[in-house]
Amino acid sequence: MHFVVVGNSIAGIEAAIALRNRDAHARITVVSYEHDHPFARVSLMYIFCGQLRLEDTEFYDRDLYARMRFDRVRDLVVGVDPAAKTLSLKSGATLGYDRLLLAVGSTARRLPWAGAYDAPGGVHHFVTLPDLEGVNAVAKPGMSCAVVGGGLIGVESAEVLHLRGLKVHFLVREPWYFPVALDKAEAEVVAEHIRHHGLDCRTGTPVDGFERRDGKIVLRLPGEELPVDFVVGAIGVVPNTGFLVDSGIALAPGGAIETRDNLESTSAPGVFAAGDCAQVTWPDGSRRPEQIWYTSRDQGRAAARAMLGDDVKYRRGTWYNSAKFFDIEYTTAGFIPFAAKPHKHQGVGAPGEEGHWQTWYQQLPGKAVTQRIVVKDGRVVGFNGLGTRWDHQVFMRWIHERRSLDYVLAHMNEARFDEEFMEPFRVLPTATLVDGA
Amino acid sequence: MQAGLLDTHHNAVSTRRSPAWVVTGLLVAFYLLLYFGKEDYNATDAAVRYARDPLNLMLVKLGWKLNDNGSLWVFNKWYLYAGLYTLGMAVGGYFMLRKHGNSTYHRYRTYSLVAVQAVLGLMLPLVLDFLGRPAWYFSYFFPLKYDLFFPYNMDHMQPTVMAWFIVMTFVGLPLLVYFKGKRVYCSWICGCGGLAETFGDPWRHLSSKSPRAWRIEQVSIHSVLFAAFAMLGLVIGDGLAPEGHAIHNFANSYKGMYSLAIGSIFSGVLGTGLYPVGGTRVWCRFGCPMAAMLGLVQKFGRFRIAVKKDMCISCGNCSTYCEMGIDVRSYAMRNQDIKRASCVGCGMCAHVCPRGVLQLVAKRDAGPGQHTQEWTVDL
Repeated sequence: MHFVVVGNSIAGIEAAIALRNRDAHARITVVSYEHDHPFARVSLMYIFCGQLRLEDTEFYDRDLYARMRFDRVRDLVVGVDPAAKTLSLKSGATLGYDRLLLAVGSTARRLPWAGAYDAPGGVHHFVTLPDLEGVNAVAKPGMSCAVVGGGLIGVESAEVLHLRGLKVHFLVREPWYFPVALDKAEAEVVAEHIRHHGLDCRTGTPVDGFERRDGKIVLRLPGEELPVDFVVGAIGVVPNTGFLVDSGIALAPGGAIETRDNLESTSAPGVFAAGDCAQVTWPDGSRRPEQIWYTSRDQGRAAARAMLGDDVKYRRGTWYNSAKFFDIEYTTAGFIPFAAKPHKHQGVGAPGEEGHWQTWYQQLPGKAVTQRIVVKDGRVVGFNGLGTRWDHQVFMRWIHERRSLDYVLAHMNEARFDEEFMEPFRVLPTATLVDGA
Repeated sequence: MQAGLLDTHHNAVSTRRSPAWVVTGLLVAFYLLLYFGKEDYNATDAAVRYARDPLNLMLVKLGWKLNDNGSLWVFNKWYLYAGLYTLGMAVGGYFMLRKHGNSTYHRYRTYSLVAVQAVLGLMLPLVLDFLGRPAWYFSYFFPLKYDLFFPYNMDHMQPTVMAWFIVMTFVGLPLLVYFKGKRVYCSWICGCGGLAETFGDPWRHLSSKSPRAWRIEQVSIHSVLFAAFAMLGLVIGDGLAPEGHAIHNFANSYKGMYSLAIGSIFSGVLGTGLYPVGGTRVWCRFGCPMAAMLGLVQKFGRFRIAVKKDMCISCGNCSTYCEMGIDVRSYAMRNQDIKRASCVGCGMCAHVCPRGVLQLVAKRDAGPGQHTQEWTVDL
């Protein structure tokens, strides 16, 4: 049996390891284009600012391929023929397979402005190693730049560009920062923190136009023009599946590979997908890719089992995540209804959800420390924490145990995951409990 | 983002480029001079000479050297060293806290390290000496202070002092380490660790994380531990054996070899000299018998670094900034709590983790299963 894994980031390499752990004799080929070794893409920001080297972000030792007897192919896959079971490579070679895993990840979503990519330079992204080299080559202290997009890549690139000494305009289209995860009050805390660092952080600011003028990029914002030396587009990522368009492997409208529950392509038997490029079923029943580090890892492992013939059904399970906005750490677990559409969350109901929804919230006075707990019908179902560390596992257990708000508030310190000598959690007199979520 | 760690790899002195080698050369030269330089100064003679001259007597007692022509010159080199050492820790501690002072844990432990050095490592010995009492460094214990129980120390050790050293060495510290971890000594008290944590902070990321380095470490540090305890045995045997017994010569040459090879060259010249090229805890990791002994206690004790399940994003900050060369990330990636003899509990891995995955804990272990349950949640 010849397994071919395309992509050696977390989904691909975890799949390859899982394959080897189960099958000592199979031939396993790992094709990668970006780098010889798996590395943590999330660390691009640390490489940019000199906190880590690329080799520090390689999350397995460099002997991994040798130990696991993976055949390393450094090449770009430009086509797949599922009928003939072959891959065509940029070098002109072809590679046959018995089972194929496509773990090809994402690339940055292009900015939708006319002419943005017509001329070289001026427009950058922050997703791949070539992206990193591109930004690294142009970003010099004293320059000005605009980071467009209020997500995690946006805040991370804004932060490292600011720390390099550039004047950063952080432009967020939505009415507040990161509305898929933060409500308005939380987002204000984050935005204030970002402004306190000296960035120009503007929310509710769409970019209506784009122009190259006198070596500068001029962005047209509501009511003004903003000239900058370059732009970093951070408006999300899209599956890196352009090479599959005519392959007969079915793609979803967004470009992700349509998969069954076992992560096998819906149209090409023997072809599997995992990670950012796979269209999967979310707990709410919707079909989307999950562009998250650890779900990619889990998908890789699940896909490997499916490739070995196991009866696999991949389901992510309860939502949890963490992030860091400059110095503010963020932990979330459970169900935090999307605050992006606040008009749908007024009153007592969340969209498509019956029941009595409530939100408990408090902020430590003068500090970027908040907690938000979402309650449905008297039962805690979600948690958001900014500024201190929490163990999401404890929250998930409480949700599982259908705990009440009173119980959770009384036991919050059991979920703390901070360094020692930190102030314990306490309920402040200013805490609020309001209807709606 | 740890703003303090920015530019670590853009900075020549932190990345083994030529300035780092210059600093290493200077440090090695300094230590060679310190340990092997000739000292022609006899404080006792000088004290007798100035017995009727209070001002000069005080200067002599504080380690100054008075020349015949009346000029005042170099210190007693060990006081000079202690002073420089404390200064290096205080200045290094200031810069360390500029980077990491947003962490309460790092603030407290840095204050503790500098205070212990300034009080127990410099002032108290100076005052005791000045008062004509035996000067002890009350924060160094056997086997790090390998000659603590040598006859030339024991012969004039007051019973209370002797009790302090014996109880702390064999009972007090092991108990503290059992309950709170090796960090109590290595990252809160010890002067060697203190210099590494403060002055050495710019080089903490240089420790090798390779499995080979770990294997070497296990052999070398336990060999030194064995050598130190063998020496203790020899010293006791030396004291008990009848005059003329062959053990006397053997014990003497053994002690001489240990103090040269381990006491001077390994812990001093290499231990500090190699900071800019080998990382800050070369001595603590590969040589210190105290660290080895307390590490064995830690292995059976309550201290561990707890790992938050399935939250690690493999970024590499924890492993990179571990001065003891522990590949923290490999544990975090497989949701395994970290219980390593070598961990000095500096807390940097937890501090630099951008996802809050790591936590230093010293609680009774909740037992297996704590981190293995899947929570299926119906919403």
